[in-house]
Amino acid sequence: MSFDFTLIIDAVPKILLGIGLTFQLLVVSAVLGLVLAIGIMLMRISGKWYLSWPAQIYIYIFRGTPILVQIFIVYYGFPQLEFIRESFIWPLFRDPFGCAIVALTLNTGAYVSEILRGGVMGVDRGILEAGTALGLSVRQRFIHLTSPIAIRLALPAYGNDVISLLKSTALASTITLADMTGIARTIVAQTFAPYEIFISLAIIYMILTWILQKSLGRVERYLGRYMQK
Amino acid sequence: MTSNAVIQMRNVGKSFGTFQALKGINLEVAKGERIVVCGPSGSGKSTMIRCINRLEKHDEGKIIIDGKELTDQVDDINAVRREVGMVFQSFNLFPHMTILKNLMLAQRLVRKTSKAEARDTAMQLLERVKIPEQADKYPIQLSGGQQQRVAIARTLCMKPKIILFDEPTSALDPEMINEVLEVMTDLASYGMTMICVTHEMGFARSVADRVIFMDAGEIVEEAEPEAFFSNPKNDRTKKFLSQILSH
Amino acid sequence: MDILVGWWDDYFWGSVVVAQVFVCSLILMIIFGLIGAAAKLSDNFIAQKLANGYTIVFRGTPEILVILLLYFGSAIALTSIAQIFNPDIKFFDVPPFWAGTIAIALIVGSYATETFRGAFLGVNPGSIEAARALGMSNLQTFIYVRVPEMWRLALPAFGNHMLSLVKDTALISIIGLNETLFVAKQAIGTTGEPFIMYIVVGLIYLGFSTIITLSVMGLERFGQRHLVSSR
Repeated sequence: MSFDFTLIIDAVPKILLGIGLTFQLLVVSAVLGLVLAIGIMLMRISGKWYLSWPAQIYIYIFRGTPILVQIFIVYYGFPQLEFIRESFIWPLFRDPFGCAIVALTLNTGAYVSEILRGGVMGVDRGILEAGTALGLSVRQRFIHLTSPIAIRLALPAYGNDVISLLKSTALASTITLADMTGIARTIVAQTFAPYEIFISLAIIYMILTWILQKSLGRVERYLGRYMQK
Repeated sequence: MTSNAVIQMRNVGKSFGTFQALKGINLEVAKGERIVVCGPSGSGKSTMIRCINRLEKHDEGKIIIDGKELTDQVDDINAVRREVGMVFQSFNLFPHMTILKNLMLAQRLVRKTSKAEARDTAMQLLERVKIPEQADKYPIQLSGGQQQRVAIARTLCMKPKIILFDEPTSALDPEMINEVLEVMTDLASYGMTMICVTHEMGFARSVADRVIFMDAGEIVEEAEPEAFFSNPKNDRTKKFLSQILSH
Repeated sequence: MDILVGWWDDYFWGSVVVAQVFVCSLILMIIFGLIGAAAKLSDNFIAQKLANGYTIVFRGTPEILVILLLYFGSAIALTSIAQIFNPDIKFFDVPPFWAGTIAIALIVGSYATETFRGAFLGVNPGSIEAARALGMSNLQTFIYVRVPEMWRLALPAFGNHMLSLVKDTALISIIGLNETLFVAKQAIGTTGEPFIMYIVVGLIYLGFSTIITLSVMGLERFGQRHLVSSR
């Protein structure tokens, strides 16, 4: 068995052409997912059953099923439904990119909402009591006390989810999108050299993960500076 | 019922599920009075003062602060909390803000004072508790005693009429207890109405106008410090005092 | 709903495959995780570096890629190795079941490494000291003091790992494993009803997730029965 380096040198630039799409999938889903997660989390902690239950059901479904199945349902399944085909959001679902975004957003939204909720629950009750005793309203306590502290608490777990999201973007290749994995699989089909190509691809993802982790570490340290003696 | 009373508690009761934490509490606090509340763990002392600023809701009876009755009406509660300050056993400073911001936050949000005025008040009070140089530090950089003094300054920034102290020195190392007691004694000498739950009997003797002993959710005995310590009337009071004063 | 009539059988057997993958990958995941944790906790520099490398590689690579790499890559590697022994062998195949199972066990195992390591370090040092002071041997301390506290500490995260294993099984359908998602693809080929077929797959996996979550909740309650206090 020989390790063909010329193949790698040839393939890597082609694979990197897909990095734009990978990033688009990552950033758009992450941002939309975060907005969705904040909404779901607020519903979940609202204390009103008609808000809390739907949120819990949504979280249960999207954390309990594989992301690949969710992608397939959106990409293959939705076009089958008449009311989707005839609605104004049809252009979104007709396009594999749109489907991938929808599926990834819904999936990460469920996980991140629980992560945010963990952060909120983790805020020391005493601090909120002090705020109450000083006369701060519920809204003021949430904005000035709970949120800043919860964000710092949730950051490590959130960072992990962003990295998971990066890895999930690779599944977009299963619905014909030409992200890095998609391009790599095409090259493998043409060259019959899975080892070289896939290992190169893995290394690229590992580098991206490493960059993400370092950046997140910086943010964590900056936000946590009040914790350093 | 004297009209001088800033706090009136009439037949107040509070239960947590099946456990009755407070039974038939009757208490009147006059303006400028310094009250010390003592008693064994679980006697309901903390619960009682927490009912005064409605961190706990009383189930029976009435609580009247400065003429206004405490109910579920949001306006009432906020009005009360503006005038009643609280100092906690675990300080509860806002960890993500500097000392200065800790002192300014409530002033700006609740009393709606301007940034400059809030800052001035904050610095004045930091001077009063003798740690103005810590203004730009974060709570974690201060010692326990310093943090508690900041907590007291934070309450004072709101210019309250009454301050409640919930075991303010219980979480402190022994060598830091005095610096906090000094600040509290200073406050007392300025005529601040205070209710203080504490085990510091020396403080009670020197500062209190009245000492109240609570046990099992009831007020068992109350008297002026001299009478209380040298001549306790109730058996339970005697037992508690012998336990706490023997070391 | 009648469309599904012919397919219940296949979905059932597909679910059985999911269960089989779960059991095998769970055992492997525990083994990989324990070895990794032991390596990280040991004083051996090389072991630590290897374990760190293991974690970095498998946490930084997409799951689907690991599966593809193991499946296609191992076929080639094993064929080459086999040809050393017997030049007549043309092709040595790794069944998708094993390629997939080992792949997901390796992936989740790299997360489990951290979980087990954290649990081990999280054991109350006071308890260990007390055991030593009472004269218990290392082995006794391990069995009676460390392990009981460790599994309780690791349980929540471990539950999440089990959920990951189940859900990653769907990815193995890409390399042809005959589990439920694969069945669905075939069913769609004949019936042309992708929505219903994929929803069924979703429900089956949701069922597995629910069983695991309930079991973990039960175990957690079992693990805390000594902590229930009465007022």
